[in-house]
Amino acid sequence: MSTDTESSYADGFGQVSRTAGTVFRYLLLGATMFGIVTLAVLLVYVANDAIRPLTADLGWHLTFFLTLVVPTAVVGGYLARRNVPALKLGGMVIGMLGVFLLFSGGVAIVFVDIVPPLTGLSYVVGLLVPAALTVVLTKYEQQIPFTLRVAATGAAFILSLVGVPGYFHSIPEIVRQLPVVPADWMILTLVLGGVAAVVVGQYVARIREDTTAGLAAGASALVLTGLAAVVGPTLGVDANAAAVVTSVAFVPTLAYAGGAAVTREQERIGLLLAAVVIGGSLVGAVAVDALGFAGPQSWVDWQFLTSAHSGTAENAGLYPAIGGSILLMATVAALSFPLGVGAAVYLEEYAPDNAFTRFIDVNISNLAGVPSVVYGLLGLGVFVTYLGQPTGTVLIGGATLALLILPIVIISSREAIRAVPSDMRQASYGMGATRWQTVKNVVLPEAFPGILTGTILALGRAIGETAPLIMIGAPNVLFSLPTELTSKVSAMPLQVYAWSSLFASEDFYTKAVPAGVVVLLAVLLAMNSIAIVLRNKFESEN
Amino acid sequence: MTRNSDSGLSRRKFLIASGAAGLAGLAGCTENNTDGEGGSGGDSEGGDSSGDGSNELSGTIDIAGSSTVFPLATAMGERFQTEHSEVNINLQSTGSGGGFANYFCTGQTDFNNASRPIKGEEETQCEDNDVTPVELKVATDALTVIVNNDNDFIGEGLTVEQLQTIFSAESTPTTWSDVNSEWPDEEIQIYGPTDASGTYDYFIEAIIGEEGPGHRQDYSATEQDRTIIQGVQGSEYAIGYMGFAYYSESTDAVQAVPIENDAGEFVEPSLDTALSGEYNPLSRPLFTYPARESLAEEHVAEFARYWMENSTSREIVADEVGYVPLGDDEQQEMLDTLNAAIEEAN
Repeated sequence: MSTDTESSYADGFGQVSRTAGTVFRYLLLGATMFGIVTLAVLLVYVANDAIRPLTADLGWHLTFFLTLVVPTAVVGGYLARRNVPALKLGGMVIGMLGVFLLFSGGVAIVFVDIVPPLTGLSYVVGLLVPAALTVVLTKYEQQIPFTLRVAATGAAFILSLVGVPGYFHSIPEIVRQLPVVPADWMILTLVLGGVAAVVVGQYVARIREDTTAGLAAGASALVLTGLAAVVGPTLGVDANAAAVVTSVAFVPTLAYAGGAAVTREQERIGLLLAAVVIGGSLVGAVAVDALGFAGPQSWVDWQFLTSAHSGTAENAGLYPAIGGSILLMATVAALSFPLGVGAAVYLEEYAPDNAFTRFIDVNISNLAGVPSVVYGLLGLGVFVTYLGQPTGTVLIGGATLALLILPIVIISSREAIRAVPSDMRQASYGMGATRWQTVKNVVLPEAFPGILTGTILALGRAIGETAPLIMIGAPNVLFSLPTELTSKVSAMPLQVYAWSSLFASEDFYTKAVPAGVVVLLAVLLAMNSIAIVLRNKFESEN
Repeated sequence: MTRNSDSGLSRRKFLIASGAAGLAGLAGCTENNTDGEGGSGGDSEGGDSSGDGSNELSGTIDIAGSSTVFPLATAMGERFQTEHSEVNINLQSTGSGGGFANYFCTGQTDFNNASRPIKGEEETQCEDNDVTPVELKVATDALTVIVNNDNDFIGEGLTVEQLQTIFSAESTPTTWSDVNSEWPDEEIQIYGPTDASGTYDYFIEAIIGEEGPGHRQDYSATEQDRTIIQGVQGSEYAIGYMGFAYYSESTDAVQAVPIENDAGEFVEPSLDTALSGEYNPLSRPLFTYPARESLAEEHVAEFARYWMENSTSREIVADEVGYVPLGDDEQQEMLDTLNAAIEEAN
């Protein structure tokens, strides 16, 4: 009886053979790897064209191999065997420095070239004054009725930023017309260093659970930024650049590394890895310079990053396009974040479950898949033709791209809000909180990292979009940074497209195009890495 | 909850503390500045909003239009920009017709490049929007017919009649043997610019005839000249046409077809043959059309002058871009037209 049953099972499976299973398994592996490997081959090819590592002297490679690769491999190998969390910490510090250095370049473009520091300062002051007033008003929350508070806050901001024409100037205008103005680097130190000080101070105060330590850390961050700006010029670094790089890249990395060294005793040895990598790079750079070995003649060089398009591929650069992409992303973020999060909160927390909501639900999911060229047409139709705006400006481009990523922002924000345990909501209601208080104090803070992750990933999609920009008539070539919302804008992918299509020469294909692709991908990877780090942190906390 | 209120408290303290630090810093900086203003003036003056350099040109110039003239306009813009860094020049390649209809005549751009003269209906459209185009010739182009490098059957070249047979909507031969029975019985693959392109319009005018049956539509049309080159490079039995500048960038990839001229000689396109007039009927003038209304602005007028003054430059027009520069007489004529228009605009 039992043998019968077994044989019938075997019949059902057909002939039992290990080979079939193995073949199937490797076919699946092949399917998994196919896309990744093809893309990797292309990227290696492009990177080789752009960076040209083989043009460097053998001595250059050898020097860096000895100073950077070997020590890193030794320390990394040791940590990988003994202490993986420490290895992660070291990698985190290095990655942080790299990504923040990249962003400090972007910040420098925005706060030095696009917005003159004095204008920036004037707006910061113009915003700080009413913000301070709001803080004061919040203190007397109990005494002042809600509507009055809202009205006062709104009036303070409007008065401060716009002023009353004919009676008194807005605060930004007053600051700009001050007879004596500080030098640019002082303003940068104050504004960017100030932001860095607040962030670092809060971070240190939180991990040390000590307000005084936080204050000290914040103050030293500010001092460090100012010091860099003062010392920078003596070392041949522009004071403005020194202030920006220090406040955006060095200070946060230092704070993170320092914080880890103090609080995470098990893992602090990982900082050795970061020290080896950074020290090795510096020693290698100095050694190469002293020994006279030539580095690779990369097309992604300082000239490429800081100059505009040129008729010859060697002199062509990406600068206006980088600035354009940054401005576009700022506009997109400013437009899509409040709209997207607002919609997500409504749909998750307020909307009744009826046919209308489900209809909206289905449509948002579909909109996320609509091709970008259709959004480009939408932008052209609505903003340019119907509203009569000029073509190809920062505002129009940003608005079109914001529409494009809005469904993605809504969907990912909803996921994040849905992931907040309903126990927390119930607890909040149980304590007598209203729905608005629950959303404000429980749901949004808890969901915020997830919302941010989704938004950054969506921005990563927007930064690579070309078709909508072509549709709204963004110029193929421009020579200067856009400085206002109404100036024409180009973007990195658009510039790469223009080089590859309108400047058909072999030169552009082998030099400018790969260099542009490498820069675009570097920015994209930096953005995505931040999103991934945020997500991991978020997940490990839950 | 306690944890929350704790962090809220420290945040507030920080805000206050950093505000105080900021104020202190601000005070320090201003003082510093009064002391060292004379010394560090050169350093900080650049970004100040006080009106400096009133003679410096500034403003925005928007240029759209022909993809054929685009490289030339870019070369001029690049040079002008290095001399006047406050002028922003935005260039877009839309095709001559696309530029007139969607950008120039609607008042969105200051210049429209064209690889053919403006059409009557375009002038009417411009007039309706109070835009007055000023015709300026900027260079001469040799419209180039290209075939695959392996193509040896066309012999010493093509006649205008043969081109007409291949490209007109009337005959639409599908194989080369339909054009000439001695040629192989293989399908002709045709690449060319779209009907938004001035190159397309000029080809009709010069080869097929304005009154004729028109251009055949069953061909691979693209605004990207590179695509035309790639298409012809990829197939032995392909033919296409484009501006000379793009061909001159990739002379190894495809071969230019000598065209029989009015003297009965087969002439290959080149800068010299176009200039001497031997290469006909496919050599053509290239234009840019500034709007007279825009010329009232000084930076636009200056850029137009700059372009005309450099239109005889062999270095820019011929060596870098690949067109035939204007002669001195033509240049003078254009400068006169331009100056008259600028005067009228002001």
